[in-house]
Amino acid sequence: MDKQTNLENAQARIAEASDQAVLADLERELLGRDGLLGQQLKEIPSLPPPERGPAGRAANELKAALTAGLLARAAELAETDLAADREGIGFDATLPAPPVERGSLHPITKVTRKLVQIFSSMGYHILDGPEVELDWYNFEALNIPADHPARDSQDTFYCDEQGRLVLRTHTSPVQVRAMERMAPPFRLVCPGKVFRHENTDATHEHTFHQMEGLVVGKDISVGHLVGTMKTLLRGIFGKEIDVRLRPGHFPFVEPGFELDARCVFCESGCRVCKGTCWIELLPCGLVHPKVLEAAGIDSSEWSGFAFGLGLSRLAMLSHGIDDVRHLLGGDLRFLEQFSC
Amino acid sequence: MLISMRWLGRHVDLSGVDPEQLALDLTLSTAEVEGVERFAPYLSDVVVGHVLEREKHPDADKLCICKLDVGTGESLQIVCGAPNVAAGQRVAVATVGTVLPGDFKIKKSKIRGVHSVGMICSERELGLSDEHDGIWVLPGEPTTGAPVAEALGIDDWVLEIDNKSLTHRPDLWGHRGVAREVAAILDRPLLPLDTSLPELGGADPVKVLVESPACSRYIGLSIDGVGEGKTPDWMRCMLLATGQRPIDLLVDLSNFVMGDLGQPNHTFDRDQLARDGILVREAREGETLVTLDEVERKLRPADLLICSGDKAVALAGIMGGQDSKVQQGTGRLLLEVACFEPVPVRRTSARLGLRTDSSARFEKHLDPTLPLKAAGHFARLLQEFQPDVTFPASLADAGDWSDPACEVALNPDQVRRSLGVGISDEEMSALLSSIDFGVQANEKGLMVSVPSNRATKDIAIEMDLIEEVGRLYRYGNIPERHLTGALVPPPVDHRRELAESCRDLLAGGARFHETLSYSFQSDALHQMLGLDGESYVSVINPVQEGSARIRRQVLPSLLGLLEPNRRQRDEVRLFEIGKGYLPEQVSDRGEPGEVHELALVLCKARQSDTSFDEGCLARLMAVVQDLLSSLEFRELQFVAVEQAPVSWVHPVRRVELRVGSGDGACVGFVAELDPGLATPLGIDGELVSDTAVASISLDALLEQERSGGSYNPLPRYPGFKIDVAIVAPEEVPARDLSGVIEKAGKGNAKDLVVFDLFRGDQLGAGRRSLAYHLVLQSDKKTLTDKDAQSFLRRLERGLGEIGAELRS
Repeated sequence: MDKQTNLENAQARIAEASDQAVLADLERELLGRDGLLGQQLKEIPSLPPPERGPAGRAANELKAALTAGLLARAAELAETDLAADREGIGFDATLPAPPVERGSLHPITKVTRKLVQIFSSMGYHILDGPEVELDWYNFEALNIPADHPARDSQDTFYCDEQGRLVLRTHTSPVQVRAMERMAPPFRLVCPGKVFRHENTDATHEHTFHQMEGLVVGKDISVGHLVGTMKTLLRGIFGKEIDVRLRPGHFPFVEPGFELDARCVFCESGCRVCKGTCWIELLPCGLVHPKVLEAAGIDSSEWSGFAFGLGLSRLAMLSHGIDDVRHLLGGDLRFLEQFSC
Repeated sequence: MLISMRWLGRHVDLSGVDPEQLALDLTLSTAEVEGVERFAPYLSDVVVGHVLEREKHPDADKLCICKLDVGTGESLQIVCGAPNVAAGQRVAVATVGTVLPGDFKIKKSKIRGVHSVGMICSERELGLSDEHDGIWVLPGEPTTGAPVAEALGIDDWVLEIDNKSLTHRPDLWGHRGVAREVAAILDRPLLPLDTSLPELGGADPVKVLVESPACSRYIGLSIDGVGEGKTPDWMRCMLLATGQRPIDLLVDLSNFVMGDLGQPNHTFDRDQLARDGILVREAREGETLVTLDEVERKLRPADLLICSGDKAVALAGIMGGQDSKVQQGTGRLLLEVACFEPVPVRRTSARLGLRTDSSARFEKHLDPTLPLKAAGHFARLLQEFQPDVTFPASLADAGDWSDPACEVALNPDQVRRSLGVGISDEEMSALLSSIDFGVQANEKGLMVSVPSNRATKDIAIEMDLIEEVGRLYRYGNIPERHLTGALVPPPVDHRRELAESCRDLLAGGARFHETLSYSFQSDALHQMLGLDGESYVSVINPVQEGSARIRRQVLPSLLGLLEPNRRQRDEVRLFEIGKGYLPEQVSDRGEPGEVHELALVLCKARQSDTSFDEGCLARLMAVVQDLLSSLEFRELQFVAVEQAPVSWVHPVRRVELRVGSGDGACVGFVAELDPGLATPLGIDGELVSDTAVASISLDALLEQERSGGSYNPLPRYPGFKIDVAIVAPEEVPARDLSGVIEKAGKGNAKDLVVFDLFRGDQLGAGRRSLAYHLVLQSDKKTLTDKDAQSFLRRLERGLGEIGAELRS
């Protein structure tokens, strides 16, 4: 066979190579020691000297021709592979892999974080306080003297017969502890667990979470309280929420209010707002002068407002949770529904 | 508390007032109205019928056939069983289609062969009383065919006020008090009410001796010539509307006066009273009294009694005694109207579990000037219904009381500052005057006279008056304002920050679920875990028997969650960050020690062939390792120690967690549960599981330094990966093997990771193989094959020294 035929045969085989592996084998065969090129090169030393030059050149030409053919076919095959890949055969968009396992944060944590973020941005201190609390902080210093109905053992868990130690019934004692340590003016919130002596059902729980807020400064007014609460609600619900204040009595504030927010779930009455379009959201008021004085703050110079947010209630409202017992029940089927 | 609008209408003109609007007004200015309902709506559905004729039923002795005119132009035939029905009466007729209380719908029927189209109603059938001996014969001559409610003028709306919003307002426990607020809100006058005593006779009053300061005032009014009589329908309907069942004239009148003025009162049969009269004293040890509800009450010395002579006849301010109950037909009465101190009444009623309309009012601290008005009101109403009654004796009025009315100075500037609104002096004076406060301007501002009805436990200081102005001005009219002032960043709370980071890392990276649990732990759990001997903060009034203890440690709270969750899931990954209380670490002031803990559980259905890195304990250790290194704690070690961290973990498969240089400080532990707990915890049988637990003290962690995450320069020379497998006796810990590898690497063996653990006959008994990935890399030069060879030689030598070898 002449060299030309050999080359044509080789080019034909290259063109027929069906995939990259076949092409790689062919490359080894053609360009290798025993291949077409190798044989030509091997013949060169045995040629008479004048023919060696032309034979060498011919071999180089052959090598160049084969290499070019191989590269071209490789490019063609690569193109074909890509095209095949792009056909995406066998893809089923409705066939997912097993789900990625996830973790979750408790809804109370989530709502607390949201509020803490809002209040931190307004310069509030975030404080913590004990769940097992002295009677002084939980009641006495908050203008709830002995024999006040709020102290009934129907409402309060007592830790000793003398009534010196209780499970705190609200997060308000933290504000007293704070006032003792801090010099006004200040702004603070204290989230935490609280306890009421109560039998549990879908809407009652003896252990729940609250967040107390306190601002003490010069000439703090009801207007400031309203403004703060509206800012808070904008932060929680992401839109303008109407609020209304109505009289409410709590011994540690004077005047005291209940703050209702316009129901965010309906226009004309629903289950959540019991058909009233208003949701009772938080008790609040101007700090009673006796409470300021009990904490060593001169009530003729300083005034303030306080509010108590029900974290459990807010968590239930924002996620539509219908049974308060889920919150502390530790059921994964419940917990898993919250992201982190 | 239930408020009848018709009743309110006796005190203030309510014409044109919408019940819903009134409810809203009261809610915004006074107290929360929780509901508005039409009183007895069926009274608007039944109509006045005129009985035209009555004849006996031919086939039934006790039935009769009545023909009635109900204003439709044709007569209705109704079969009736009542003995008292007679021609000429006006009666309440439920026509076909009417629905009566109890969802009872009137239909056409045939009674013993006679057609009947409707029903003539008894009082009981209309929910008005228990009266069912006969039909209700309507008083007067109401318009035939008109709805009964309208024809009798008993059409009414009832407002339900939240009692909790009235705790500081004794004046609102009667309709007149609420009417005063309504008058102020509507800007209409409060109608006058004559509560002066009628003419009294000159006989000596019943003797009254008050021995206890718990009774500040006791009024006794003698009444003679009380005959039998029926309570007028309007009063019975008002009582019904406010939830009081009408009983008889005297009881109804007593309840009406209480509902009207808020002042409880009581009547005694004067003929049954001892010659010595009334004694108000504290009970004696062991004394008992059978109250009107026929329960024998065991009394204590703090309980206040009303006695006839020395014999107890009533539990003061709470309930009368069974023996002194006034019988129908008692002609000679003593009306008691008294003022009892709130605290003793509340204590006694709470202890006996006996809360009454009377005790609820006394608990609020009633106005001591009120008894006299109530006595006059009672007497005048009784006289109106029974003109023959007389009041033979002068009034007995005992007790040591004083008028609580007071004056409080009000600085108008302070009102404006506190409310944040520019309300004028005149406006505030007008608002205060509208609720009967007296206002006088002086050089310092305003001097406000607080009437006695608002001066007990209510208005005492300037802020109280500011509240009055604010609520009547309406808080809704106060504009929103924003806080101003110096903005100083609050100090960092390191514990909160650490806890929040743990939450993010565990829920995010480690895919654990956060839970929050009760602070109570049950005695049963403590017994199961052998924690019964510890001391606990306990509540003395637990909601549930055996759940009085407050936890010392968070982790046990998670154990009870394993079984129910394993029923639903093959794997349970939970964590909680919470507090524990240690009574032995008590502060000077009596506060128990508080600890802050991160607790974790990982519980997974047991599998027969778990690879070494899928075991719960190893996985939880890896989670804790990752958590603490992500938090940049340095030199983390898991150490097997002799001393068990808690009694209820596996005796061997447990490690202490140490942080810091040298031996490190113990910050917690990771362990498997003791296998003996599987059955008591319910994770056995089909739920058989492997369970690992961890407890980390946030308090201990906070004492440790964190590295702050300093940067390491990127490697300048390439490294290469090699795998080595080492066969070693079981008792050689992996830490020793990795130590040998690191030593052989001379600082160049990096990123050491175990990827396989293997045991098998070919290794020989008591031996195991551990396979490692590692990277050889130097920061001084490019390592070569030669360096790798010498590393392996050093490794082989090092392993030989501890009885291990490279696996070929």
